[in-house]
Amino acid sequence: MERSRILGSLAFAWLLLTLAMIVFATRLGLVMAPPDALQGNVGRIFYYHVPHSMLSLVWPYLNLAASIGFLYWRRRDPLKALSADALAIASAEVTLVYATICLTTGMLWGRVQWGIWWTWDARLTSMLLLWLLYVSYMMLRKFSSTGQTQTLAAVLSIFAAIDVPIVYKSIDWWRTQHPSPVFFSKDPDAGVDKSMMPAFVANIIAWAMWGILLIAIRYALERRRQALEQDAALKAIEDSLEFTR
Amino acid sequence: MNLSWMFGPSMEQRHLLYVYVLVWVVQGGYAAWVVWQWFRTKQEPRP
Repeated sequence: MERSRILGSLAFAWLLLTLAMIVFATRLGLVMAPPDALQGNVGRIFYYHVPHSMLSLVWPYLNLAASIGFLYWRRRDPLKALSADALAIASAEVTLVYATICLTTGMLWGRVQWGIWWTWDARLTSMLLLWLLYVSYMMLRKFSSTGQTQTLAAVLSIFAAIDVPIVYKSIDWWRTQHPSPVFFSKDPDAGVDKSMMPAFVANIIAWAMWGILLIAIRYALERRRQALEQDAALKAIEDSLEFTR
Repeated sequence: MNLSWMFGPSMEQRHLLYVYVLVWVVQGGYAAWVVWQWFRTKQEPRP
Protein backbone atom coordinates (compact mmCIF):
# COMPACT_ATOMS: atom_id res chain seq x y z
CA MET A 1 0.00 0.00 0.00
CA GLU A 2 2.86 2.35 0.92
CA ARG A 3 4.57 1.57 -2.39
CA SER A 4 1.45 2.34 -4.43
CA ARG A 5 1.03 5.65 -2.57
CA ILE A 6 4.61 6.68 -3.38
CA LEU A 7 4.13 5.70 -7.04
CA GLY A 8 0.84 7.65 -7.14
CA SER A 9 2.54 10.79 -5.77
CA LEU A 10 5.39 10.36 -8.25
CA ALA A 11 2.92 10.02 -11.15
CA PHE A 12 1.05 13.14 -10.00
CA ALA A 13 4.28 15.16 -9.76
CA TRP A 14 5.30 13.90 -13.23
CA LEU A 15 1.85 14.89 -14.58
CA LEU A 16 2.19 18.46 -13.24
CA LEU A 17 5.72 18.77 -14.64
CA THR A 18 4.59 17.40 -18.01
CA LEU A 19 1.57 19.72 -18.26
CA ALA A 20 3.79 22.70 -17.44
CA MET A 21 6.25 21.57 -20.11
CA ILE A 22 3.48 21.13 -22.72
CA VAL A 23 2.12 24.64 -22.03
CA PHE A 24 5.65 26.09 -22.20
CA ALA A 25 6.47 24.22 -25.43
CA THR A 26 3.15 25.20 -27.04
CA ARG A 27 3.78 28.84 -26.15
CA LEU A 28 7.24 28.61 -27.74
CA GLY A 29 5.73 27.12 -30.90
CA LEU A 30 2.81 29.51 -31.25
CA VAL A 31 4.21 32.76 -29.87
CA MET A 32 7.97 32.85 -29.42
CA ALA A 33 9.18 31.11 -32.59
CA PRO A 34 9.11 33.25 -35.77
CA PRO A 35 6.83 32.31 -38.69
CA ASP A 36 8.47 29.99 -41.23
CA ALA A 37 10.18 31.98 -44.00
CA LEU A 38 8.47 29.97 -46.78
CA GLN A 39 5.28 28.66 -45.21
CA GLY A 40 4.31 31.43 -42.81
CA ASN A 41 2.31 30.57 -39.70
CA VAL A 42 1.10 27.22 -41.04
CA GLY A 43 4.68 25.98 -40.53
CA ARG A 44 3.89 26.00 -36.80
CA ILE A 45 2.02 22.73 -37.40
CA PHE A 46 5.49 21.12 -37.46
CA TYR A 47 6.05 21.88 -33.76
CA TYR A 48 3.36 19.30 -32.99
CA HIS A 49 3.62 17.08 -36.08
CA VAL A 50 7.36 16.37 -35.98
CA PRO A 51 7.63 15.39 -32.25
CA HIS A 52 4.59 13.09 -32.55
CA SER A 53 6.01 11.53 -35.73
CA MET A 54 9.44 10.97 -34.15
CA LEU A 55 7.95 9.48 -30.99
CA SER A 56 5.61 7.22 -32.97
CA LEU A 57 8.82 5.60 -34.26
CA VAL A 58 10.30 5.29 -30.75
CA TRP A 59 7.42 3.66 -28.83
CA PRO A 60 7.28 0.61 -31.19
CA TYR A 61 10.76 -0.36 -29.96
CA LEU A 62 9.46 -0.40 -26.39
CA ASN A 63 6.62 -2.57 -27.65
CA LEU A 64 9.17 -4.80 -29.42
CA ALA A 65 11.37 -5.16 -26.32
CA ALA A 66 8.35 -6.01 -24.15
CA SER A 67 7.06 -8.50 -26.74
CA ILE A 68 10.43 -10.25 -26.98
CA GLY A 69 10.48 -10.31 -23.17
CA PHE A 70 7.05 -11.93 -23.18
CA LEU A 71 8.09 -14.56 -25.74
CA TYR A 72 11.24 -15.32 -23.70
CA TRP A 73 9.54 -15.56 -20.30
CA ARG A 74 6.19 -17.09 -21.22
CA ARG A 75 7.41 -20.62 -20.39
CA ARG A 76 10.34 -19.78 -18.11
CA ASP A 77 8.71 -17.25 -15.77
CA PRO A 78 4.97 -16.61 -16.36
CA LEU A 79 4.82 -13.74 -13.83
CA LYS A 80 7.56 -11.81 -15.62
CA ALA A 81 5.84 -12.64 -18.92
CA LEU A 82 2.61 -11.04 -17.66
CA SER A 83 4.55 -7.90 -16.72
CA ALA A 84 6.14 -7.77 -20.17
CA ASP A 85 2.76 -8.29 -21.80
CA ALA A 86 1.28 -5.37 -19.83
CA LEU A 87 4.12 -3.14 -21.05
CA ALA A 88 3.60 -4.40 -24.61
CA ILE A 89 -0.09 -3.46 -24.71
CA ALA A 90 0.56 -0.09 -23.02
CA SER A 91 3.26 0.88 -25.52
CA ALA A 92 1.19 -0.41 -28.47
CA GLU A 93 -1.78 1.79 -27.56
CA VAL A 94 0.40 4.86 -27.10
CA THR A 95 2.11 4.14 -30.45
CA LEU A 96 -1.32 4.07 -32.09
CA VAL A 97 -2.27 7.42 -30.49
CA TYR A 98 0.97 9.07 -31.66
CA ALA A 99 0.82 7.54 -35.15
CA THR A 100 -2.80 8.69 -35.55
CA ILE A 101 -1.78 12.24 -34.64
CA CYS A 102 1.21 12.04 -37.00
CA LEU A 103 -0.98 11.05 -39.95
CA THR A 104 -3.86 13.47 -39.30
CA THR A 105 -1.70 16.53 -38.57
CA GLY A 106 0.38 15.68 -41.65
CA MET A 107 -2.79 15.58 -43.77
CA LEU A 108 -3.95 18.94 -42.38
CA TRP A 109 -0.56 20.43 -43.28
CA GLY A 110 -0.47 18.75 -46.71
CA ARG A 111 -3.88 20.13 -47.68
CA VAL A 112 -2.54 23.67 -47.18
CA GLN A 113 0.94 23.24 -48.64
CA TRP A 114 0.39 20.65 -51.38
CA GLY A 115 -3.29 21.27 -52.05
CA ILE A 116 -4.08 17.58 -51.42
CA TRP A 117 -5.00 15.58 -48.32
CA TRP A 118 -3.07 12.48 -49.27
CA THR A 119 -0.59 11.05 -51.77
CA TRP A 120 0.88 7.55 -52.04
CA ASP A 121 4.30 8.86 -51.16
CA ALA A 122 6.84 6.41 -49.67
CA ARG A 123 6.89 8.08 -46.23
CA LEU A 124 3.12 8.46 -45.99
CA THR A 125 2.44 4.93 -47.22
CA SER A 126 4.97 3.26 -44.92
CA MET A 127 3.61 5.30 -41.97
CA LEU A 128 0.05 4.28 -42.88
CA LEU A 129 1.25 0.66 -42.93
CA LEU A 130 2.71 1.07 -39.43
CA TRP A 131 -0.61 2.54 -38.24
CA LEU A 132 -2.54 -0.36 -39.82
CA LEU A 133 -0.22 -2.88 -38.17
CA TYR A 134 -0.95 -1.37 -34.76
CA VAL A 135 -4.70 -1.24 -35.51
CA SER A 136 -4.42 -4.98 -36.34
CA TYR A 137 -2.48 -5.50 -33.10
CA MET A 138 -5.23 -3.85 -31.06
CA MET A 139 -8.00 -5.74 -32.88
CA LEU A 140 -6.18 -9.03 -32.34
CA ARG A 141 -5.92 -8.31 -28.61
CA LYS A 142 -9.52 -7.21 -28.38
CA PHE A 143 -11.33 -9.86 -30.43
CA SER A 144 -9.13 -12.98 -30.56
CA SER A 145 -10.50 -15.70 -28.30
CA THR A 146 -7.69 -18.24 -28.58
CA GLY A 147 -5.32 -18.96 -25.71
CA GLN A 148 -2.44 -17.79 -27.91
CA THR A 149 -3.55 -14.15 -28.31
CA GLN A 150 -0.61 -12.69 -26.42
CA THR A 151 1.90 -14.78 -28.38
CA LEU A 152 0.32 -13.85 -31.73
CA ALA A 153 0.31 -10.17 -30.72
CA ALA A 154 3.99 -10.38 -29.71
CA VAL A 155 4.89 -11.82 -33.13
CA LEU A 156 2.85 -9.10 -34.87
CA SER A 157 4.74 -6.44 -32.91
CA ILE A 158 8.00 -7.81 -34.37
CA PHE A 159 6.57 -7.28 -37.89
CA ALA A 160 5.53 -3.75 -36.91
CA ALA A 161 9.04 -2.99 -35.62
CA ILE A 162 10.50 -4.07 -38.98
CA ASP A 163 8.43 -1.30 -40.64
CA VAL A 164 9.88 1.41 -38.34
CA PRO A 165 13.34 1.74 -40.01
CA ILE A 166 11.60 1.63 -43.41
CA VAL A 167 9.42 4.59 -42.38
CA TYR A 168 12.48 6.44 -41.05
CA LYS A 169 14.67 5.85 -44.12
CA SER A 170 11.88 6.15 -46.70
CA ILE A 171 12.62 9.83 -47.38
CA ASP A 172 16.30 8.99 -48.03
CA TRP A 173 15.64 5.93 -50.15
CA TRP A 174 12.82 7.37 -52.28
CA ARG A 175 12.67 11.10 -52.99
CA THR A 176 9.01 11.80 -53.50
CA GLN A 177 6.52 14.28 -52.06
CA HIS A 178 7.36 14.35 -48.34
CA PRO A 179 9.92 17.00 -47.24
CA SER A 180 13.49 15.74 -46.91
CA PRO A 181 14.90 14.93 -43.45
CA VAL A 182 15.19 17.91 -41.12
CA PHE A 183 17.12 16.26 -38.31
CA PHE A 184 20.15 13.94 -38.73
CA SER A 185 20.37 14.77 -42.43
CA LYS A 186 23.54 14.52 -44.57
CA ASP A 187 22.28 17.39 -46.75
CA PRO A 188 24.11 20.62 -45.70
CA ASP A 189 21.09 22.71 -46.77
CA ALA A 190 18.67 20.71 -44.62
CA GLY A 191 17.94 21.59 -41.01
CA VAL A 192 16.03 23.98 -38.84
CA ASP A 193 16.84 27.63 -38.28
CA LYS A 194 18.37 28.32 -34.85
CA SER A 195 15.41 30.52 -33.90
CA MET A 196 13.08 27.51 -34.27
CA MET A 197 15.17 24.96 -32.41
CA PRO A 198 13.98 25.80 -28.84
CA ALA A 199 10.34 25.22 -29.87
CA PHE A 200 11.20 21.91 -31.55
CA VAL A 201 13.32 20.62 -28.67
CA ALA A 202 10.80 21.71 -26.02
CA ASN A 203 7.94 20.00 -27.86
CA ILE A 204 9.91 16.78 -28.33
CA ILE A 205 10.72 16.71 -24.59
CA ALA A 206 7.16 17.65 -23.57
CA TRP A 207 5.44 15.02 -25.72
CA ALA A 208 8.01 12.38 -24.77
CA MET A 209 7.26 13.08 -21.08
CA TRP A 210 3.52 12.83 -21.81
CA GLY A 211 4.01 9.52 -23.65
CA ILE A 212 6.03 8.08 -20.76
CA LEU A 213 3.26 9.09 -18.35
CA LEU A 214 0.57 7.50 -20.54
CA ILE A 215 2.55 4.26 -20.87
CA ALA A 216 3.13 4.13 -17.10
CA ILE A 217 -0.57 4.67 -16.25
CA ARG A 218 -1.76 2.23 -18.94
CA TYR A 219 0.79 -0.34 -17.68
CA ALA A 220 -0.51 0.05 -14.11
CA LEU A 221 -4.09 -0.39 -15.36
CA GLU A 222 -3.18 -3.58 -17.23
CA ARG A 223 -1.39 -4.96 -14.14
CA ARG A 224 -4.50 -4.25 -12.09
CA ARG A 225 -6.65 -6.11 -14.64
CA GLN A 226 -4.25 -9.05 -14.64
CA ALA A 227 -4.37 -9.22 -10.82
CA LEU A 228 -8.20 -9.25 -10.92
CA GLU A 229 -8.20 -12.02 -13.56
CA GLN A 230 -5.77 -14.09 -11.46
CA ASP A 231 -7.94 -13.62 -8.37
CA ALA A 232 -11.04 -14.65 -10.32
CA ALA A 233 -9.26 -17.75 -11.66
CA LEU A 234 -8.04 -18.71 -8.17
CA LYS A 235 -11.52 -18.26 -6.75
CA ALA A 236 -12.99 -20.45 -9.49
CA ILE A 237 -10.45 -23.20 -8.68
CA GLU A 238 -11.20 -22.95 -4.95
CA ASP A 239 -14.96 -23.11 -5.61
CA SER A 240 -14.58 -26.16 -7.84
CA LEU A 241 -12.46 -27.91 -5.16
CA GLU A 242 -15.13 -27.25 -2.56
CA PHE A 243 -17.78 -28.57 -4.96
CA THR A 244 -15.91 -31.89 -5.44
CA ARG A 245 -15.48 -32.46 -1.68
CA MET B 1 -0.26 35.96 -25.13
CA ASN B 2 -2.24 37.19 -28.15
CA LEU B 3 -3.39 34.33 -30.35
CA SER B 4 -6.15 36.17 -32.22
CA TRP B 5 -4.20 35.72 -35.49
CA MET B 6 -4.97 31.97 -35.28
CA PHE B 7 -8.74 32.49 -35.50
CA GLY B 8 -9.52 33.48 -39.05
CA PRO B 9 -11.32 32.27 -42.16
CA SER B 10 -8.28 31.31 -44.24
CA MET B 11 -7.38 27.65 -44.69
CA GLU B 12 -3.93 28.25 -43.13
CA GLN B 13 -5.47 29.63 -39.95
CA ARG B 14 -8.18 26.96 -39.74
CA HIS B 15 -5.81 24.04 -40.27
CA LEU B 16 -3.27 25.35 -37.78
CA LEU B 17 -6.05 25.68 -35.20
CA TYR B 18 -7.41 22.19 -36.03
CA VAL B 19 -3.97 20.64 -35.51
CA TYR B 20 -3.45 22.15 -32.07
CA VAL B 21 -7.02 21.37 -30.96
CA LEU B 22 -6.89 17.84 -32.42
CA VAL B 23 -3.68 16.96 -30.58
CA TRP B 24 -5.08 18.13 -27.25
CA VAL B 25 -8.40 16.34 -27.83
CA VAL B 26 -6.83 13.02 -28.92
CA GLN B 27 -4.16 12.98 -26.20
CA GLY B 28 -6.57 14.24 -23.52
CA GLY B 29 -9.27 11.83 -24.65
CA TYR B 30 -6.98 8.82 -24.46
CA ALA B 31 -5.65 9.89 -21.05
CA ALA B 32 -9.23 10.37 -19.78
CA TRP B 33 -10.21 6.90 -21.07
CA VAL B 34 -7.26 5.28 -19.26
CA VAL B 35 -8.02 7.12 -16.01
CA TRP B 36 -11.72 6.20 -16.29
CA GLN B 37 -10.80 2.54 -16.82
CA TRP B 38 -8.48 2.76 -13.82
CA PHE B 39 -11.29 3.83 -11.51
CA ARG B 40 -13.72 1.36 -13.12
CA THR B 41 -11.35 -1.53 -12.51
CA LYS B 42 -11.80 -1.94 -8.78
CA GLN B 43 -8.93 -3.48 -6.94
CA GLU B 44 -10.28 -5.85 -4.31
CA PRO B 45 -8.15 -6.46 -1.20
CA ARG B 46 -6.34 -9.79 -1.45
CA PRO B 47 -6.98 -12.28 1.36
